[in-house]
Amino acid sequence: MMGALIYLQFASTRNRLIARLKRLKQPKYLIGGIVGAIYIYFYFFRYLFLGSGHVPTGHATWFTPENRMVIECGAGLLLCVIVLASWILPNKRAALTFTEAEIAFLFPAPVARRTLIQFKLLRSQLGILFTVLIFTLISRRAGGNVLVHALGWWLVLSVLNLHFLGVSFLRTMLLDRGITHWRRRMAILGVVGGTAVGAGFWVWHSMPAMEVVDQPGEILEQVRRVLTTGPLPYLVYPFRLLVRPYLASDLTGFLLAAWPAVLILLAHYWFVLRADVAFEEASVEASRRLAERVAAARAGKLRGGGVVRARRPPFNLAPKGSPAVAFFWKNLVAAGQMFNKRLLIVLAIMCVAAFFGMSGSSHSGGFLSLLGMFALMMLVWSILLGPQVLAQDFRQDFKMADLIKVYPMRGWQVALGELLAPAVILTCIQWLLLPLALGGLIRLDRGAELDMGMIVGFALALALVAPPLNLLSFVIPNASVLLFPAWFQTDKAMPHGIEAMGQRIIMLLGQMLVLLISALPAGAVFTGVLLVVKWAAGWWVAAPLAGAAAAVVIAMEVAVAVVLMGRWFEKLDVSEEGGP
Amino acid sequence: MIEVKGLTKLYGDFVAVNELSFAVRPGEALGLVGPNGAGKTTTLRCLTGIIPPTRGSIHICDHDLGESPIEAKHQLAFFSDEPRLFDYLTVWQHLVFTARVYQVADYVPVAEQLLAELELTSKKHVLPGELSRGMKQKLAIACGLLHSPRVMYFDEPLTGLDPHGIRKMKDSIQRRVREGAAVVISSHLLHLVEEICTHVLILKGGRKVADGTMADIKQRFLQGVGVSNLEDVFFRATSDVEESTVP
Repeated sequence: MMGALIYLQFASTRNRLIARLKRLKQPKYLIGGIVGAIYIYFYFFRYLFLGSGHVPTGHATWFTPENRMVIECGAGLLLCVIVLASWILPNKRAALTFTEAEIAFLFPAPVARRTLIQFKLLRSQLGILFTVLIFTLISRRAGGNVLVHALGWWLVLSVLNLHFLGVSFLRTMLLDRGITHWRRRMAILGVVGGTAVGAGFWVWHSMPAMEVVDQPGEILEQVRRVLTTGPLPYLVYPFRLLVRPYLASDLTGFLLAAWPAVLILLAHYWFVLRADVAFEEASVEASRRLAERVAAARAGKLRGGGVVRARRPPFNLAPKGSPAVAFFWKNLVAAGQMFNKRLLIVLAIMCVAAFFGMSGSSHSGGFLSLLGMFALMMLVWSILLGPQVLAQDFRQDFKMADLIKVYPMRGWQVALGELLAPAVILTCIQWLLLPLALGGLIRLDRGAELDMGMIVGFALALALVAPPLNLLSFVIPNASVLLFPAWFQTDKAMPHGIEAMGQRIIMLLGQMLVLLISALPAGAVFTGVLLVVKWAAGWWVAAPLAGAAAAVVIAMEVAVAVVLMGRWFEKLDVSEEGGP
Repeated sequence: MIEVKGLTKLYGDFVAVNELSFAVRPGEALGLVGPNGAGKTTTLRCLTGIIPPTRGSIHICDHDLGESPIEAKHQLAFFSDEPRLFDYLTVWQHLVFTARVYQVADYVPVAEQLLAELELTSKKHVLPGELSRGMKQKLAIACGLLHSPRVMYFDEPLTGLDPHGIRKMKDSIQRRVREGAAVVISSHLLHLVEEICTHVLILKGGRKVADGTMADIKQRFLQGVGVSNLEDVFFRATSDVEESTVP
């Protein structure tokens, strides 16, 4: 029976690979594949092919003998926290996640439960091996033996994988014996709390008194002392045994250090196979949730598979008036899933902080300056990343294109309606960040020569330019959906892999380039008006006027783009767009 | 009310629909039948304005769908086999949105009545994700009927409905036909077509094989055979062997 399951895995993997290779016949995937490969090479493989001599020498010092103990204890502590979390946090019965097809074929088939577990463990090794590859390529930069690192990562990840599964089985066993999640949690927290108090007492009496320090070097020294002396090294000892093989300097050292970890691995494997826990029912539910998450991710939803709650509409939609407003309204309701009260409260708190920063209080000046700088940074990033994060537009509705095309609306009305909501949301965020950034700038420059008129004038100009500029920035990804619908086929299998990653890189760079080119005429107008008016009046007047003029230019570009997008939408024939 | 002349849809070299002409008058229900790949879905998508035809014209209530799409679309409703709903709008919000799109001024009493008729009143503030397949279908129907369309297209209207829902759906379609709507039903369920439709259009390979009233079609294809149901007509009309011998 295991042979059939291995065949299933092998055939699926092989066919997926072949499908991806065949996809490379299409130029868009081939180019994407090349760009993706270049990116991966420069990000991961460059150091591997250049040899160990090219690893930054500063990183090699990480694995000095005195650091090994700190890393071993620190990593052991981290593993301990992860494992404890797996005992405390989950509130579901044991569930092995299979695809819906696997459930349909395997659960009614005469396959033993133990065989299914073995199959699941075998398949999880594919994911683990891929993760090992990525982790090794990353950790390779810190020096050390590549093979030892790879084997070390494999040991740690495999044990964790088995442990999580074993804990889920134990949890189910406890539930079957009437021990609820809360009783289990209270018991574990009691043990952990008691141990923590005991350890704290030990530290208090055995370690020299710690002084309050503020220099990074002194802080690191304190951390080193806590990690390597006192009770902590003993408390996390089993976890240190797992980390130790990774830290070995050569293969011999690895083999000597690995046997306790291998014993832990085998003990876990024995328990997981021996535990006769009914996971089928929970697995069906888990697989359904997985299918929903995949479908949501394919539809471009950030919170895929999460619970969607009904939201109060942002305003009452009258039955008469421009139908474009109906789309604006609908997309604001959709954005309510992400752009909710919590986010507004956070932003409001930031604005209050900005107000205090601008009021000139001498307390917490550094923090407010930092906050202001953060806001400024967020402002810049919002222009670049806003259109990627907020997608309550054509990208979200593309799967509904058939339905929308039946509506008695002009194409440009649909296009405008789709663009409005994310642009308005982004503008609101930027308008909230603007005073915060302004406050930070003023505080940072306190005492220095600063032209307040210029700063406030430019802030006003930015506030004026933001709405049309945001509309323009949303035009680009939305127009891409209409021009290259095959790349956004949300109801089909979403392409992934190196070529799809390359496509996204190309798309992002293209968006930035088009935005830059589109902003050039507005930039020229802005500069011209600014120079002329500045000569006659101050920054106070010149910058907002120039901003208004630039906003008009961008708005005209947006109008042209909306009309074009409307035509493309009217001509769009999704059924003609084949391809994977 | 629906007038189609020379409708042709090409995908590259592939002819999905070839020179199709027919008309559906008020109070008529046309059954669009044919084997898989006959061009039924493509025809329906052209009739609704989802995809533009390569050649030919479609008139809805005397409005050319190509020339005056807004006016034409105001008169029609399309009910797809799979209800297409917005995940994040509640049942009522779907109706509010639809009312604005179709400019239905006094929509509240109509919407309330539709919800009551379709037994959705208790689900008014529920999202589609919490509705069963049948209820989603009902919501899609409520949205489609809100603007009182004079032309209706149904693509496999009974998919996913329970026996109670099937009965109500058939009654609802027949009532709209009696009230003067022009209805096109695309379905593989020949007994449904036979029960509800006044006319039949049989497609095969993108071409019209037969078109006429139910009685005419039966007479044409089943002369002297002795049986007289649409299923027999369908097999005779779409059979490659017998096609050339059919009168």
